[in-house]
Amino acid sequence: MSSFEKVGDGFSLDLTLDEANILINLVEQLLELLGEGDFFHHYDSSDPLAQLLAMPSEIVTPDDPVLLRLLPNAYADPEAASDFRRYTEPQLRGSKQKNLRLVREELTILVDENHGGIIEELNADVWLKALNDLRIALSVRLEIDETSFDKFEMLPDEDPQKPVYAVYFWLGWLQENLLGLLL
Amino acid sequence: MAKTLTKDQVNISELLDRPWITIVWDDPVNLMSYVTHVFIKLFGFSKERAHELMMQVHNEGRAVVSTGTREEMERDVQRLHEHGLWATLQRDDKI
Repeated sequence: MSSFEKVGDGFSLDLTLDEANILINLVEQLLELLGEGDFFHHYDSSDPLAQLLAMPSEIVTPDDPVLLRLLPNAYADPEAASDFRRYTEPQLRGSKQKNLRLVREELTILVDENHGGIIEELNADVWLKALNDLRIALSVRLEIDETSFDKFEMLPDEDPQKPVYAVYFWLGWLQENLLGLLL
Repeated sequence: MAKTLTKDQVNISELLDRPWITIVWDDPVNLMSYVTHVFIKLFGFSKERAHELMMQVHNEGRAVVSTGTREEMERDVQRLHEHGLWATLQRDDKI
């Protein structure tokens, strides 16, 4: 089983190839959902010049429940929420994309070389946030609530949802593992 | 002899603007240890205070994590959203 380790002042993560593949698959799906194009960006999304052109002309409350949970309303009042979103959503979206892109880069090395291995000197803060966003995204699709772990344990192995739940709980375990080294 | 405040010292609109509060809401996804970690990181709380607030979110469904001007609370909510916590701001209705 993979795990994070504290090495000096930094952190590393030992992953099997299967685990690296699962992670990069999810990271890329979430990047796509967040509107990341399938191309290499030579600009940083926090660059004010990038926002000038790349910002959509109209920013509305997302219909997709995953996006709405990742980019939530800041106010209960719809008008205030929508005003706040217009000014802040690009930055919020950009910060989530940035974390996912960094994690993707670190996973790419393992996946492209087709072997498991250790990711060294990873940024714990970035990984925590990216793992959390992946869990949030999966939790919306799986409709996770307080009873989900018991449900998962009772699902028969042949249930097609079983591996998805397993991935969700594995991500939680990974995140907990990294937090244990930080707290 | 009573002193009067200068105009600069009496900023009624600022007094009326205050306070706004940032609320973190419970959700079934964020790990207890992660919420505690984020509270320490963003607000500089002690481990004990962060744990206490996290437990309040967990048990009562919500907790006020910061108080201040609207702009300050908007910044806090944005930072909490960057960390995946479910947060909103509103005027403190106790006043």
